[in-house]
Amino acid sequence: MRLKLGFVPLTDAAPLIVAQALGFFADEGLTVELSREVSWATVRDKVAVGALDGAHMLAPMALAANLGLGSEPAPLIAPMALSHNGAAVTLASRLLPAEEPDAAGLARLVRRRKEQDASPLTFAVVFPYSIHNYLLRAWMAQAGIDPDLDVRLTVAPPPRMAELLAGGVIEGFCAGEPWSTAAATRGVGRLAVRAGELWGHAPDKVLGVTDGWAGEDPARLQALVRALLRAAAWADSPAHRAELAHLLAEPQYVGVEAAVIEEGLRHIRFHADGANVPKLQDAAWLLEQMVLWGQAGAGLDIKAAAARVYRPDLFEAATTTPIR
Amino acid sequence: MRVLVVDPDPARAALVAEGLSGVDPLEVRHAAIFDEHEAALFEPDVVVVAADSPDRDTLDSLREASLANPRPVVMFVDRSEPGLAEEAVRAGVAAYVVDGLAAGRVRTVLEVAMSRFALMNQLRQDLEKAKADLASRKTVERAKALLMKERGLEEEEAYKLLRKLSMDTGRPLAAVASDLLAFAGVLKGGKA
Repeated sequence: MRLKLGFVPLTDAAPLIVAQALGFFADEGLTVELSREVSWATVRDKVAVGALDGAHMLAPMALAANLGLGSEPAPLIAPMALSHNGAAVTLASRLLPAEEPDAAGLARLVRRRKEQDASPLTFAVVFPYSIHNYLLRAWMAQAGIDPDLDVRLTVAPPPRMAELLAGGVIEGFCAGEPWSTAAATRGVGRLAVRAGELWGHAPDKVLGVTDGWAGEDPARLQALVRALLRAAAWADSPAHRAELAHLLAEPQYVGVEAAVIEEGLRHIRFHADGANVPKLQDAAWLLEQMVLWGQAGAGLDIKAAAARVYRPDLFEAATTTPIR
Repeated sequence: MRVLVVDPDPARAALVAEGLSGVDPLEVRHAAIFDEHEAALFEPDVVVVAADSPDRDTLDSLREASLANPRPVVMFVDRSEPGLAEEAVRAGVAAYVVDGLAAGRVRTVLEVAMSRFALMNQLRQDLEKAKADLASRKTVERAKALLMKERGLEEEEAYKLLRKLSMDTGRPLAAVASDLLAFAGVLKGGKA
């Protein structure tokens, strides 16, 4: 069976890349072509219209697309979660030169700039519907910064973050690995907080397919989920970290130095603690973030929306069906 | 017509300019990378970008953020992605341009995109206004009912009283009604 799957060059695309490189797709009878994509909107649209069979996706983007937020409504579903805890906030090294890059320090700077009538600081996230947007906002809000009024938020592609930081276009960003470690390695940014530190557990990427594609051939979806599950378990093992970093470093995948990728890998959970089950409470929590920050109306039926997109039943069917 | 072409390759902007020759006034600006600030200063009537550009997410987010000043965005797909453009147009994903960008079709494509955008924008504004009208009518009805009950007024008198409050304070009827309801809640010891 031939499949075309999309991924965005990020460390947490590892399950797809590992399944391809280590032959886990082939073991399930799947011939997969991986397509490297440069933007989340393109990934969403291509899966929605069938130009891709499935993709590595931001969990909130799949939820938003299903609700018709930010695009025409697209029947995207998540039969599997791919990663947790990859997001991190990075501040420009020049921003708080004499102190730790924490939210309280940033709040003092924001207040000082306000008193001086200076322009608001600009921060970038990777997509409006992303854990990165919610992490940056929550981290600011708990220090008393209103992310809608006190700073300017913009969207930029993750590989460009370090360059925007160095060029003074932005003063901080929230993105997935390897981009926070890359900015720190270049000396232009300092890591302020990781999603895992603020929340303990932060759902990040999912496998996104359309409802129709999943229903067309359940055995095909089950084979795909099993291959990715095996790859996620492999990627999660600390014993494979160095080998995984070298694989991801290849130019057709992430294309960043292996040492930088390896450092960031320590903070991502691919498999342990049932991380691959698309849990309804994770979806509900992400939808609550959308309501909290005004992306979705307060009247949103969270339970129904979560259950439409997150499909633990499909995950379970894949893991309990005997392998052909 | 002011057109912003976001593409690493300047050839694309030249092609757009060629396709629009005869349009007057015309200003086609080329940017290798989308810059929100520059774009805001330029105030384009339409933005042209490749569907596989890394700047797509930024442009996509502007659709949400800049509701006050939205711009139509035209995306084109290179021939290397057969079928995507047709499918995207059919599914209403966006105003994708079929099979790359050809000078001969630029003008039609941009004009269609702009008029479709204007139409959608109008529909959205109408819908929002209708929603707001409905909400404020409901608030006024509830405030009227409250006055009738608490002050023993007839419906007509209750409405006149609300209108007087509105005129005296120089605030919209719905705002006065909403305040009245909120204060009544507090006085009764309910939730404010």
